[in-house]
Order: sequence, then C-alpha cells, then structure tokens
Amino acid sequence: MASINPPKPERKGLTTGQWLMVLFLLVFTLVYMLPFLGAIVTAFRTPDDISLNGFWSIPREITFRNFPEAIQRGGVSRFLLNSFIITIPALIGTIILSSLSAYALARHRFAGNKFIYFMYVAGTMLPFQILLLPVFLLSNNLCVQEAYELGQFVLNVPFVDAKVCLYNSYLGVIMIHIAFQMGFCTFVLRNFMRSIPGEIMDAARIDGANEFGIYWRIVMPLTLPGIAAVSTLEFTWIFNDYIWALILLSDGRKFPVTQGLSGLQGQFTTDWPLITAGALVATLPTLVVFFALQRYFIGGLTLGGVK
Amino acid sequence: MKKTPLYFTFVLALLMLLAACQPQVITETVEVEVTRVVTETETVVEEVEVVKEVEVEKVVETEVEVEKIVEVNPVVFNSYSSDPVVRAFEEKMVAAYSDANPNSPVQHTIVNHEDFKQAIRAYLVAEPAPDVLTWFAGNRARFFIDKGQILPISDVWEEEGWNEDFPKGFRAMSEVDGEVYFLPTSWYWWAIFYRTDIFEEYGITPPETWDELIAACETLDGAGLIPITIGTKFRWTAAAWFDYLNMRINGPQFHIDLMLGKESYTDPRVKEVFVKWTELFDANCFIDDAAAYSWQEAVDPLNQGDAAMYLMGQFVMDPIADEIEDKIDFFQFPIIDPSVPIGEDAPTDGFFIAANAANPEGAKELLGYMGSLEAQTLMVEEMGRLPTHNGVDSSLFTPQQQKGIELINKADMVVQFFDRDTTPEMADVGMNGMMAFWDDPTQIDAILEELEAARLEIFGEE
Amino acid sequence: MAIAEKPKLNKQKVNRAPYYFILPPLVIYLVWIIGPVFYTFYLSMTDWDGISPNAEFIGLENFQKLFGSIGSVLPSAFEYSLYNNLVWLLVFITVPTAIGLGLAILLNQGLPGERLFKVGIFLPQVLSFAVIALIWSWVYNPRAGILNEILLMFGWPEDNLPGWLADKQLAIWAVIFAAAWRQIGYIMILYVAGLKNVPPTLMEAAEVDGATPWQRFWRITFPLLAPVTTIVIVISVIDSLRSFDLVQIMTRGGPANSTSVLANLMYIQAFNNYKFGLGAATAVVLFGISLVFIIVYLWRVMQDELEY
Repeated sequence: MASINPPKPERKGLTTGQWLMVLFLLVFTLVYMLPFLGAIVTAFRTPDDISLNGFWSIPREITFRNFPEAIQRGGVSRFLLNSFIITIPALIGTIILSSLSAYALARHRFAGNKFIYFMYVAGTMLPFQILLLPVFLLSNNLCVQEAYELGQFVLNVPFVDAKVCLYNSYLGVIMIHIAFQMGFCTFVLRNFMRSIPGEIMDAARIDGANEFGIYWRIVMPLTLPGIAAVSTLEFTWIFNDYIWALILLSDGRKFPVTQGLSGLQGQFTTDWPLITAGALVATLPTLVVFFALQRYFIGGLTLGGVK
Repeated sequence: MKKTPLYFTFVLALLMLLAACQPQVITETVEVEVTRVVTETETVVEEVEVVKEVEVEKVVETEVEVEKIVEVNPVVFNSYSSDPVVRAFEEKMVAAYSDANPNSPVQHTIVNHEDFKQAIRAYLVAEPAPDVLTWFAGNRARFFIDKGQILPISDVWEEEGWNEDFPKGFRAMSEVDGEVYFLPTSWYWWAIFYRTDIFEEYGITPPETWDELIAACETLDGAGLIPITIGTKFRWTAAAWFDYLNMRINGPQFHIDLMLGKESYTDPRVKEVFVKWTELFDANCFIDDAAAYSWQEAVDPLNQGDAAMYLMGQFVMDPIADEIEDKIDFFQFPIIDPSVPIGEDAPTDGFFIAANAANPEGAKELLGYMGSLEAQTLMVEEMGRLPTHNGVDSSLFTPQQQKGIELINKADMVVQFFDRDTTPEMADVGMNGMMAFWDDPTQIDAILEELEAARLEIFGEE
Repeated sequence: MAIAEKPKLNKQKVNRAPYYFILPPLVIYLVWIIGPVFYTFYLSMTDWDGISPNAEFIGLENFQKLFGSIGSVLPSAFEYSLYNNLVWLLVFITVPTAIGLGLAILLNQGLPGERLFKVGIFLPQVLSFAVIALIWSWVYNPRAGILNEILLMFGWPEDNLPGWLADKQLAIWAVIFAAAWRQIGYIMILYVAGLKNVPPTLMEAAEVDGATPWQRFWRITFPLLAPVTTIVIVISVIDSLRSFDLVQIMTRGGPANSTSVLANLMYIQAFNNYKFGLGAATAVVLFGISLVFIIVYLWRVMQDELEY
C-alpha cells in the first residue's frame, strides 16, 4: 500500500547542493505559511492593538478571549454543528451510493454500463452553477403535506401540519451534495474496484454469497483505502460549501459554518481577531480529518483515480 | 497492512458517533420551549379535571384539544441587520416581543447584509417563505409588490392606527393602488460626516459651496491627510456621490426622472455630473484604492484620524469608535448651483410580510409590534435612526438627530437612494459604470453610452 | 499499475443484479444533476424573471445579448467574466501544476525535514474559501497589508503603492494567486505519491546510460507521472470552475467588473437583477467551457477503456 512515508534516507553527510535545497525549502515553506501564521497570531490579539499597529505588527498584547467569544457570542459552535449535520450524512450517502454504482460498473457487464460510467465522469467537471436555479426550484417543489413527524425528526421543522419542502431543510442541502459529488466518487471508486483481483469474488460466489454479500463483505473492505482517500477530499469540498447553503437555506439556525463566518464578519465588522478566531475554529474539523486520514489519502486516490 | 481497514473503521465510527450525538445537542435549545408547553398543558388539564370528573376517555380527549390551543406557532423573521448596532436593537426588540407572546415566539435569522440582498429572491419564492422580512422602502419593495410576493397589510395599518400615527409620506411610499404593503420603521439622513478636531486644526469650516469643498480637499491633502474616505467594494457608497452631484447640479426632479428612466443618460446634464466629479479626483479628495474596502473598513481611517470626511448615511456612526464619537459632526452636501432646488437622500427601511408566509396571522401581530410606539422608542434609543411614528417623544432625540431632522425638513425634495429609486438591473449597470468611471475618469462618454443602452433596454421593456 | 481483470460474467441468464446496484444512485443523479442541466438549457432560452408563472420562449436572444456585448469600448461584465474564466483555467492547469511538481521532486530526495515542509505547504488546502479570502484580503490590504509593508521596506515609493484588489489590472491576478496558494500543496502531495511509483531501478539504469537529469525527467519521470497529471488537471479544472466563492468574498467581481467570473455574473443576473433566463444562459456558456475539458477527458478515458 502506498503511503507518504518516504523510505528512511541514510543520513550521510549532505552535499552543498542538498543543503541549498533544504534552505530553499525552509524559506519557501515559511513564506508560504506566512498568511496562515499571520492569521493564527491575529486570533490571539486585541482589536485595539491591531487598529493601532496594523495586522502585521509584532503583537503588544496577547489575549485568549477571542476563541470563547467567537464560539459563544458569534455562535460558531452552533454553525459548526450544522456543518456536521450536513457534511457527515452527505459524505456517508455519497460513499454508499457511489460505491453501489461503482461496484456494478466495475464488476458487471450490462447494457448501458459504459454510457452510465461516462455520464458520471462527465459530471465530475460540471460547473455546479449550472444547477443553481433548477435545484433551487426542485427543492422548493419537493414537498410533503402535513409532515409533522417527518418534519420534527428529519428536517427539524418545529411547526405542525405545515407543508414541508426540501427547501430550507438540511436534507435539501445534503441531497444536492450527495448527487453532485457522486460523479467524482463513482469514478474513483470504480477504478479502484477494478483493481481488486476477481478470484476473491469468484471464490465467494462459489461459496454461495449473493451479490450484495460480495459487495458488502468483500469488495467494500478491500476498497476502504480508496474510500478513505475520496472521503478526505469530499469532506473538505462539502464542508467548505458556501453557495448551496446560501441558496437552499433561509433559517439561520441551520446555517453551516461558512455562512456563519460571513455573518460573523457582519456582526463584528472590524473585530478581526474575533473573526479570525472563528475562522480558525471553523477550519479545525477539516484539519483533523486530513491528519487522521492523510495516510490513505494519497495512495487511495492515485491508485484508483488513475489507471 | 491488516491494521489499515481497522483504523479507518475506527475513525469512521468516531465520526458517526459524533453525528449521532448532534441531534441531542440541538434539542437542548428547543427543549426549553417544549417543557414550557408541557407545563401549560398540565395546568390547564388540571382545571379541566376539576370542572368535570366524568369518564376517563373524555379527559383524554380534552387534553388533546387543550394541547392544540397552547401550541407554539412561531413567526419566522429573516433580516439583513448584520451590523452590530442594528443587530443589537433587533435582537432586543425580538426578545421583548417573544417574552410577551410565548405562544408565538420569533425565529430570528440574521443573514449577512450583502448576501441577504440576493438571497431574498429565494426566500420569497420559497414555500413557506419567512413570515416577516426586512427590506428597503420604495422601488426595491415595489418590484416584489408588483410580482405579488408581498402580503397587503392595509388591515394592520387600519387596526394599529398607523394611518393617523405615521406621516402621510410614509404611507404613500408603502402604497400601491390603494393597498398598503410595507411598514416603514426607520429612516436616516445622508450628509458629509467629518472630524471636527481635524477641521479645527487646519482652520477649515464645514464647506457650504463646491469651491469650499475643493479647497478643504486641497488643504487636507497638502497636510498628508485623506480628505474623504470611502469604501467602494460594494459599490453603492459611490452612488451617493452621484445622487448628490446630480441633485445639486440638475435638481432633484431631474434626478428622479433619470432614475425612473424618463431622462437619457447621454443627456449633457448627466455628463456634467461626472465632469464635476472629476474635479474631486483632480483635487485628490478621495482615499486611494477605495475599491479595496467595505464601507465599514473605510471608517477606520476616520477613526484613526487619517481621514477627515465621509459622505454617508447616519449609520456611519455605528462603527465610529466611542472615544471619538463627540469629534464627529456632519454638514449638508455643499451647494453647487444656488438656483437649483435642494434634494436630499433620506432612505427609509422597514418590514413586510411575504405573500407565501406560513403564519400570516402571527406575522401581522409581530408587524403590529414593530410599528408600535414602544418598538419605535426602543429603536430611537438603541439605534439612533429616526422614527416613522409621530408619537415618539422628541426629547429623546440627540442634538445630532435634531440636526438631521432639520436638514431633511429644509429640503425641497427628499429621495431614497440610487439603488432604491431605480430598478435593480439599472442600479447594477449604473453602479458598475460609476466604478469604471472611478477607475478611469476619462471614459465618461463610453460609460454614459453604455448606461443609456441599458436604460433603453430596461425601461423600454415596460 | 492496474491489476484489473475482465469482470467474470455469468452468461447463462441475464443478470439483473447490477441494475439493483445502479438504480438508486442513478435516480438521484438524474433528478438532481442531469435533469437540472437540461432545465437550465431550457431556461436559457426564456426571459423568465424567477417569479412569474409563465416564461416566454425567446430562442437564442439571451446568448445574442451576452455575446453581442463583447467588443464595446468598455468591456462588458460578460466579456470580463469570459476572459477571467479562461485566464483562470489556463493559469490553474499550468502554474500550480508546475510548481507542485517541482516541489514534489525536491521533496522526494530524502532531505531532512521533508515531512514538515509537506505539511506546511499542504495546509492551505484544508482552509475554506471564506478563510482564504479573509486572510488574503489582509495580505492585499493597500493601507496595512503585509505585501505593501514589504514593498515599503524595500524602498517602494509610498505614494505609489499598488492597490492590489482595488487595481483593475492587478485584482484578478491577486485573486487567482490566492486560489493557487490553496491548490499547490494539494498538487504537490499527489505528485509526491506518484513519484513513489517511479521505480528507482529505472532511473539508475538511465543514469548508467548517461542520461542527464533533464532527460531523465522528461523521458522517464514525466511519462510515468502521466496518470497523476491527468487527475491533477481534472481537479484543477473542477476547482477553477468553482472560483465563485473566492471572488464573491474578496471582490464581489469588482472593481468595475474586472474580477467578475461567469459564476458570479450568473448569480448577479439571476438573484440581483431578476433575469433568470439571462443567468441560465451565462451558466450554459460556463458549461460550454467545461464541455471542452469534459470531451477531451472523456476521450482519454474512453481510449483507456477500449484497451480492455
């Protein structure tokens, strides 16, 4: 299995050229991270310090108030929660649905196989803006009458007997993410599944396993590295979405963190440290996911994404 | 190798656990409401039981009925008031209303101001739409009224006595074909706000004429200060300059006719506006790189004492630092041609009910409160805008507010604002034109031709 | 690398199993993606305002209007958007790819501190566009941004500092640069993984044969990296067509439309100017651009598939 762990180099003395390369990389990385480091420092400063001395000055004063402040008063924790409520089901849905079709596309020959596959591949490069208006209309027209139970449970809509639509529901946002991400995911997973040796499946078939059993018990576990790889990518894509939430949600209690940050900027206009603190908290989940899954990330994607 | 799937399953399980936990956390906020409802139900049920001790079945039935009566029916209120001062007022008002009406609590959503201006399109078409929304009076509301997106509220006006309590002008701007659709709740004046201490230091008196303004720019620029700050990232701040120059040169009537598409943008009178505007660039009046800043960011130089003036609505006071609040005053936009009647920008904001509202009854109640003397007084105290309700105690007004009212009362004609007086599309093209002009003032003719082409297309359709 | 084999088939009877697998995702895909694409095509030929129940069919008028606006004295918003989208695409599939590949090669030599460099360069990728826009707005801030502070340090005349996002010529490059900043680390990581699959023996053999490093790169490494390059380009195209967020937050398409991209223009037309038909037509143009890539890419994929 591929991993980003380099083979441990034998530490002989480095040549001058190599030292220069290290020096270059060091400087490059530092400069590269400068904006990010600046943001981290800003999050610990006070607005007065910044307005007097500028963003990029040496801090005269360090404070920790910005983080709790952003989380409580700015409601970042709430927005973060919403982001999870949207991202996690969307991610799971994408993976499950994509792996279903990926399995069929990779392992079965049937009429329309290639056509469907190409449709998904083409979809990966579709600019989502083209869907903006119709999906808004669609969400607005997919409604359930008198959906009290459903409304309470799935959509978290508090009023009774009202017409409940996909518009302004978590589900509406989740659905478009699932559908939109399916193309890329199916594409990667299908190629990944093709690389699984067929003998394993044949053996299972002889043992009397049905198709679903083969998919679930044999193919899926073997595809996990690929799934982990696309998951990291999909997680960042879905988590960082801004426009779908803006168009498909109107209730502030459901806004994900990207929207919340935009509101934070309005709320605290020039209190940059607070806004930055909120932004950094909002970034944390993607950071965690990346570092947790990074091992699988690269290997899985290249093994499956390209053949 | 073997650890790979195991580890991943663990991480996935952790994430799923996280997901599973969330709904519980959500209900925490909701729970408060739920418990309250339950207790109410209980007390009522007790009373019912005391009255009639008949069959058990009946008690159950009444219980169900009672539950329906105390059912919570919230009012959904979406607003663009994302700026701190406005937000604080609105939250206070909403809290006051929700406390007084536990059965009809307000679900208040505040969306980033600039995002709201576009997202409202989705809100209004949605079913159900939010019940109550913030918006601008005048043409920007008129568009939605014409499309049947706004619920008529003549009955609320009647019931609440607003027809008597509000100046006629406010009713007129909320009315289409005899039906009232809008509740104006606050208005404010535009003027050039300035740092009194800087003016004093350089011996500048508030300019009353064009030449004085240019002279002030030259003095301040010579001293290494920014004479006038402005942030044009969201474009509309520049439109204020167009409004005032056009009104001061060509009079407010011509300005309004132009806004309504009745006058041509290639008219030499419009060109004169831009030529006059160029004089400000020549005198180095404006801050460099204005397009890099939002209107709030452009307040910073004023706060820091680097800039002296800012043509803005009264709301510019919101982000002004507390320490320098008493060093800020304002003066009327200088007179250019004394023979021309005086026009002023004085935009009005307010609320309306969406035609698709799920709870129009609750919405009307909330609106009733929003236009009430109580809410209006709170608005004046918290937000410092001017009230629309006649009954608000005028002793509440600060000297600055008094001066603002006087400024507007003196005007021969009061208009709303560029992007409120013309159509949304014309406003978009117009403000783009102004930005192109700001970038390259030599392009006036090309810009005006483009605006004229847009005008013919937009107003020709109707 | 692919060990794929021909799927084993059960030829005795028609196997219905794959359809059970294919159908649920396909239905969702058709309803949410394929259907809407066609609906947008339809909308682009109407004058719908987004509210009125009826829209009039006006054929290609919207497209005529868009393309007719090209070439006027002042570039129209559409002209800027089209140009910016193309520039963005071209820059995005070349510059970050080259830099990412270069870094990957540097970081594939077992130098000390490699891991730290990789993490540091990759970090921006996990930031949301909102955060990136925020950070770079300060970098570019003409009055207090670090860029201008650095320029001052090097003796740049104070009254002639660039306005960055406020400068009509510079703004779009400034935005693309911020976007590339996010992209490079990601591309680097993909190439690092790809380089692991280049057998060292091959390189050694070439070295023995007297190939220069330059030849070794172009003759051996680069061709072997072709699969990675493909996916890098796919992701670059996807991300550059998603440029909406960054522009929306950093400049709103300004100053004077100079940073407008088709996605923002579409949004403004539909949701600000209430011209849903025109907005849909703009989206179709954007689709047209991506179609070029879709076709090239599909063709490539098809070539691969036909080998089976």
